[in-house]
Amino acid sequence: MTHRLTFATATAAAALLTAQTAAAQMTELGEGEGAVSIVAWPGYIERGETDPNFDWVTGFEEATGCMVEIKTANTSDEMVALMNEGGFDLVTASGDASLRMIAGDRVQPINTDLIPSWSSVDDRLKDAPWHTVDGVHYGVPYMWGPNVLLYNTEVFGDQAPTSWNVVFEPMDLPDGQPNQGRVQAYDGPIHIADAALYLMTHQPDLGIVSPYELNQEQYDAALDLLRTQRTLVSRYWHDAFIQIDDFKNEGMAASGSWPFQVNLLLADGVPVASTIPEEGVTGWADTTMLHAEAEHPNCAYMWMEHTLSSNLMSDLSVWFGANPAVLAACTDGSGMQTAEGCTANGLDDFDRVRFWTTPVSDCESQNGECVPYYRWVSDYIGVIGGR
Amino acid sequence: MAAEPAVAFRSVARHYGPVRAVDDLTLDIGEGEFFALLGPSGSGKTTCLRLIAGFERPTTGTIALFGKDATGLPPYRRPVNTVFQDYALFPHLSVEDNVAYGLMIAGEGRAARRRKAGEALEMVALGGYGMRKPAELSGGQRQRVALARALVLQPQVLLLDEPLGALDLKLREQMQGELKALQRRLGITFVFVTHDQGEALSMSDRIAVFDKGRVQQVGSPEAVYDRPETPFVADFVGASNVLPAAMVARLTGRAAPGSLRPEAIRLGTGEMRARVTERAFLGSATRVELDADGTELTALVPKGHAVPEVGEEVRLGWDPAALHVMEGAHG
Amino acid sequence: MAEARASDLFWRRPRLLLALLLAPPLLWLGIVYLGSLFALLAQSFFSIDEFSGLVTYELTLKTYGELFRASNLDIIVRTILMSAAVTVAAAIVAFPIAYYAARYARGPWKAVFYLGIMLPLWSSYLVKVYSWKLILAKEGILGWIFAKLHLTWLLDAWLALPGVGGKSLSVSWTGTFLVFLYVWLPYMILPVQAALERVPPSMLEASADLGARPGQTLRSVILPLALPGIVAGSIFTFSLTMGDYIIPQIVGTSARMIGQAVYQFQGTAGNIPLAAAFAVVPILVMAVYLTVARRMGAFDAL
Repeated sequence: MTHRLTFATATAAAALLTAQTAAAQMTELGEGEGAVSIVAWPGYIERGETDPNFDWVTGFEEATGCMVEIKTANTSDEMVALMNEGGFDLVTASGDASLRMIAGDRVQPINTDLIPSWSSVDDRLKDAPWHTVDGVHYGVPYMWGPNVLLYNTEVFGDQAPTSWNVVFEPMDLPDGQPNQGRVQAYDGPIHIADAALYLMTHQPDLGIVSPYELNQEQYDAALDLLRTQRTLVSRYWHDAFIQIDDFKNEGMAASGSWPFQVNLLLADGVPVASTIPEEGVTGWADTTMLHAEAEHPNCAYMWMEHTLSSNLMSDLSVWFGANPAVLAACTDGSGMQTAEGCTANGLDDFDRVRFWTTPVSDCESQNGECVPYYRWVSDYIGVIGGR
Repeated sequence: MAAEPAVAFRSVARHYGPVRAVDDLTLDIGEGEFFALLGPSGSGKTTCLRLIAGFERPTTGTIALFGKDATGLPPYRRPVNTVFQDYALFPHLSVEDNVAYGLMIAGEGRAARRRKAGEALEMVALGGYGMRKPAELSGGQRQRVALARALVLQPQVLLLDEPLGALDLKLREQMQGELKALQRRLGITFVFVTHDQGEALSMSDRIAVFDKGRVQQVGSPEAVYDRPETPFVADFVGASNVLPAAMVARLTGRAAPGSLRPEAIRLGTGEMRARVTERAFLGSATRVELDADGTELTALVPKGHAVPEVGEEVRLGWDPAALHVMEGAHG
Repeated sequence: MAEARASDLFWRRPRLLLALLLAPPLLWLGIVYLGSLFALLAQSFFSIDEFSGLVTYELTLKTYGELFRASNLDIIVRTILMSAAVTVAAAIVAFPIAYYAARYARGPWKAVFYLGIMLPLWSSYLVKVYSWKLILAKEGILGWIFAKLHLTWLLDAWLALPGVGGKSLSVSWTGTFLVFLYVWLPYMILPVQAALERVPPSMLEASADLGARPGQTLRSVILPLALPGIVAGSIFTFSLTMGDYIIPQIVGTSARMIGQAVYQFQGTAGNIPLAAAFAVVPILVMAVYLTVARRMGAFDAL
């Protein structure tokens, strides 16, 4: 199994080397090509098959004649690999994948003039750095959400935890029991940023400006904090459904999480709630991006317009527990979302969210001396392994 | 006082569900005897051997070895060893280790094991083959290894289950002589299962003829061959003619079936008349099938004598002493 | 007509037919399998540039050196220990089952045996692993059984042990081990059963006849003759455990095994050379294992 996977990425890497030519930005739209293929997160593009109430594809296909083909990917890295292989038109990339694809010329600049509803995009997202490089837009904002602190209300009572310290430092929780063995952390190297964010408040003299831009000293401090956390965490969560299961069956008290799990747990009547602690939170923001060699660019542009102007934003934000890129979707009745729902998903906490970005060595805040992402990966593996 | 028999069956039966493999067997095998268990397949002779070895337990009855009850004794506590029909050599061990296996189990030291195994292999003329694997040997060689493996433990009784069955004719005849010589030299009891009457006759001191789970006759080869006690024995051991009781009564006045060896019948002279139905040239003789008023007879005509044609009417007769009346047998 | 001519041709040239039949599978093996293996090996001799994080296409052994970094060595040692433990346990558990099936099970019981062994293989691997997560959970079935038997103290004592223990079975190495053992057990039972099936009953009678008690027969005859089956089974259990990246992700302490490291390095980190070097480790371990097994005579009875 591993052989095959490695081989696939090996070829992908080879393809990356040979295809370094960027396509020019489109200037006008033509007729639809009859099809569009999209790499997306699971649950992002629904055509009513999982639940008939959630369908934002059928209408698009009827209106434009562009048949939508979906390839789901479970991790940002899978998305990058698929886009490197080619054969897809669009991808719903998170911030930790988008810049990699822009740097690799896998995606092309977007002509916002060809997207009539561009003006409706939340101003906070319009020029966001994870899809805008040197003033050029490489995609249309899709969804965003905070990585909230999920906690068990039987353990914490009415008093929501105010700090991430409940998952980082050994302590007794309000029910009198220690937190050791009862907290979880995200099983991805990007969790180092959560530690860094915590240190920004608690060790300000480290001088961390962005949790994604860490020099060696800041990085080491974050790893130390994570090593302490390792003694508290019995299992790291990787799959949303495993975390849901652990909160039901393993007596978990607190963990970083997504609104998605919070909503599903609440729907199942599990006594949990979520909060945004005083240190702020990390989060994800996804962007629909166009492949540099897209075969169906006209349909792709029509889809991007569709994401902004249809029921998609409103219904998807309900379905996924995320926030729409179009603020009006919370209130205009284009779908099922309501202002209260958006507030619950963290719409008003945008400024407290540090969105995922790929750490690169050439960073602004630390004079280009940051620890790059590939080291985050191997070091985080070491931390989880008890090093 | 007579010595205790090496093997003593007392009213032994072995049933598999409704099948009576061995039924009501009472039999003594004397010490130092070369004893054959003869019979067709399914007659119970192999079950009988397995009862001695301890692989089977009697359903009823008792088995004693040298006067000691062995009915419930597991195989590894019996002073007997077996040469298996398929030899059952251990494929993962060398020839020497195969032969030394029982010695190893008995806890003998390595040096003693090697010496004794070497001697046993010499005895079966396989000295120098010790390092080979069984798969590298021919059938005859494997048979000798199996023999050496059983004999190296100096059993008081050696059991042989169709030991020559898998060998070709020439090798079989040679091994028959060797086995017999070996038994004479060692002086221990050999119990030997075969379905080949020639083999049983030529090798054994005594033979037990089995049919359908029961012993038909026990006796010396001559007795079994010349004086069969039942029509089955007459037919199975040497393919004798079985004359119906009525015919025997007419000829001798005694009303019991009779057996008459084919070679005892002389053609050309005599009281009886018969028609030739078939004839087959056998080399040293010709076999002639005859029909005497509905009784089928077989005669062997030695080379040099006149052989009648098929369909011809012939006279036939025999020395009255050659007709053996099977008193006590029925029809 | 044409068919008849073809048949005649194949009759006269039997090798031609053989070649035609063998060509597609050999091409498949040769190009797809060996090709990917070669691509993997080639990648492992490249390295990743410290500063840009891009792969440098120059032959070097630096990436293999990386494997000896403490955290990576941990992964390798951890994986090999787990694979060895799973293999040994699988052999111990599988042997009596396989022995029963080969020696005693007849007729319908044989069918029940095969069904029992194969049935778990029919259901989805993921479904099995997730259900084990529920069985092993703190508030799961196993914990409930221990509580009912008033043996919770025993479970707690075991979970308190360093290394194998943890907060609950589901987040301990013991849990990972149990799931591996369950999932790969059929791959051990079937070859062992096949090997035992080939041992004629007369072989065991011969051993008893030569004075061996059942225990001695087991040690001196049955085990050596079953060994090729055990080795075949252990190749499955060992290599499957070494390559797996799903089970340790769902059940266990989250500490990585080789499969997960490969998955994560090739994807997340874009460190394809290191992923490739990691993927070479199981191949080397298996090569060493098979060589040792051969030297020790595991295949002599074949």
